[in-house]
Amino acid sequence: MAEAILVPQVGQDLTEAKIVALHVKLGDKVKKGDLVAEVESEKASFEVEAFAEGTVIHLPYKLGDIATVLAPLLLLGEPGEAVADARDAAPAVVGPTAAMPVAPQSAPGDGILRSSPLARRLAARNGLDLRRFAGSGPKGAIIRRDIETRMAAPAFGTAALAFRGLKAGTGDPVVFIHGFGSDLSSWRPFLSHLTLANPMQGLDLPAHGASPPLDDADFESTVAHVAQALTEQGLDNVHLVGHSLGAAVAAAITLHGKPRVRSLTLIAPAGLGPRIDGDFIAGFLAAQSEAALSLWLGGLFHDRASLPQAMIRATLAARADGQLAAGQKRAAARLFEGSTQLFSIREALALYAGPCRVIVGIEDAIIPAAQATGLPGHVALHRLAGVGHLPQVEAAPLVGRLVMETVRAAG
Amino acid sequence: MREIMYREALREAIDEEMQRNSDVFIIGEGIAERGGSYKVTEGLLAKYGPRRVRDTPIAEAGMIGVGVGAAIAGARPIVEILYVDFAMLGMDMLVNQAAKFRLMTGGDGRVPFVMRTQGGAGGGVAAQHSQSLEALFYHIPGLKVVMPSAPADAKGLLKYALRQDDPVMFLEHKHLYMTKGPVPEGEHIVEFGKADIKRPGRDVTVIAWSNMVPRALEAAAALAEEGIEAEVVDPRTLVPLDTETILASVARTNRVVIVQEAVRRGGVASDIASIIQEEAFYELDAPIEIVAGLNIPIPFNLELEKASVPQKDDVIRAARRALHIQPMAIAAK
Repeated sequence: MAEAILVPQVGQDLTEAKIVALHVKLGDKVKKGDLVAEVESEKASFEVEAFAEGTVIHLPYKLGDIATVLAPLLLLGEPGEAVADARDAAPAVVGPTAAMPVAPQSAPGDGILRSSPLARRLAARNGLDLRRFAGSGPKGAIIRRDIETRMAAPAFGTAALAFRGLKAGTGDPVVFIHGFGSDLSSWRPFLSHLTLANPMQGLDLPAHGASPPLDDADFESTVAHVAQALTEQGLDNVHLVGHSLGAAVAAAITLHGKPRVRSLTLIAPAGLGPRIDGDFIAGFLAAQSEAALSLWLGGLFHDRASLPQAMIRATLAARADGQLAAGQKRAAARLFEGSTQLFSIREALALYAGPCRVIVGIEDAIIPAAQATGLPGHVALHRLAGVGHLPQVEAAPLVGRLVMETVRAAG
Repeated sequence: MREIMYREALREAIDEEMQRNSDVFIIGEGIAERGGSYKVTEGLLAKYGPRRVRDTPIAEAGMIGVGVGAAIAGARPIVEILYVDFAMLGMDMLVNQAAKFRLMTGGDGRVPFVMRTQGGAGGGVAAQHSQSLEALFYHIPGLKVVMPSAPADAKGLLKYALRQDDPVMFLEHKHLYMTKGPVPEGEHIVEFGKADIKRPGRDVTVIAWSNMVPRALEAAAALAEEGIEAEVVDPRTLVPLDTETILASVARTNRVVIVQEAVRRGGVASDIASIIQEEAFYELDAPIEIVAGLNIPIPFNLELEKASVPQKDDVIRAARRALHIQPMAIAAK
């Protein structure tokens, strides 16, 4: 069956992208990870990688064309497979992160999955996928302790998180953690407002983007899972930038000791008070149509008109993965009870000694800005007027400046 | 329990068995009037007389031939060969006669023959007096191969050897004769094919025999200071080999280091490794490490002699490799 590689989401507020390079032509064979194209928005250009192997059987755009975001950029199939067949077949629509590699490779470089015989047996017995492990043995081999570390972690699921380098650079990496119902690609448009030298990475929270769900995960076990995933990625010193639930996760990671969090920027953070709009969560999770979804997503903005079409399409595309949608529902049930947030980051903020900023939109309809009071004296609070739950979209230049100031304050 | 030396434990075994069974006798170079080069047979001549404790000329082929023949005829001879290196003169009697006789007579003919000898490096006695040749005998079906590392095992195994009916290569180590350990008085039997866990541990199985056992125990003590618990398994007899105990230990620790003093090539360690990977591949978390002598004749120079056989640090390094630990601590030394 043919698989589609989609035009990537180049920005939440953008629906079109220009094809500035095409590295394949009809009939070409591509391997997983091959660079197939480059697309460009007004602000940045993005490389598109093949996430699967196959022969290019359909290539609707040519160089210089303006392509629709999240429409098929090309179709991969068997050599000689008719395009009509490929179109008839239900397109294997994947989320907006389709063009991104999913799991950390255990042996970067040569692509060989190394593991000890015992690790293989333990993995098979416990239903673990070795491809999801970062091995700590010789040449990246997966050994007993890698399996045991994973098994010993309480309530951990069976899989690692998806990471994606968003920008190369030098220094301690800045890691972006998205909010509930989103994924790491949502940060791409915001990055154009940052001129930091540091490398930037995004991660997909469990049950979001390319990360599998965590079984029965409450807030603490989600945080522990993310902290371990960061450590397994070799991210020992990080600047964390989080939005909403992702901000709460970022704050709580500071309690873990590993990784060491050099600075903390919390955008519209959850976990500062008990209130959250439970109707929004329920409605957002239940919405199946573009119309319903756009009504709920509009609530994220102070100005509903600023809801980008691409955001609706990306969310719908992600919802096509029933497993992820179900995982998000289960996660929501453990994180929220109606309109109550079941976790708090107040203790983490009180104990955190590094530079820390909290940025909230006064018009936030999801998490009331009024809850961001009584913060510890060393935490800076920025209350932005005319901004809703997405300051990084509605006040992107300012929020970008604040992120840079926070990162630089860590020295 | 009282502590006595390895050589005293051996003497006790011979003494007790000679007393118990008048078929037991011992021959060898300088073993009667001089009491043996390593003083194992001291006092036996006076006690049992020259018919049962007999000096021989320097003629190993003849001594071994006499012993094998006497065993076939129903006696229980002990032939002491001064160095295992010299046993090569009697190989036809051992390999083609003693080892085959039982099978070729349909099980009627037995060869209750014990060749006591010693091997191993130590003290600069050079290439013709330092070899560890257990693999030669291990390779021959029909020969039992016994390599005690401790005084109590030396006594118990030798007593058992003198009560069973097949040819036994009883290989002692020149370094061990003066070592002391607790040895039960009187009846103390160690059956063949029963390994002994000299030190329990959960992290890595170290299999060693003969003089490599004390060396493995020193390494285990050093590893324990780093929090690594090595289990030292001494098979005590290589033929028959207690694979059950070895495999059970591997199942507990998932990592194996095999230490042999003999040269690496064609050694018993390689064979034990092949048995483990065949029987317990999916228990292994790391490649099996073999620490062995270099593939060279043992040099006369003491420093070179030391460099040619496994030392404590070699065992420590191998254990750390098996545990996927970087060898920093050792490199810093």
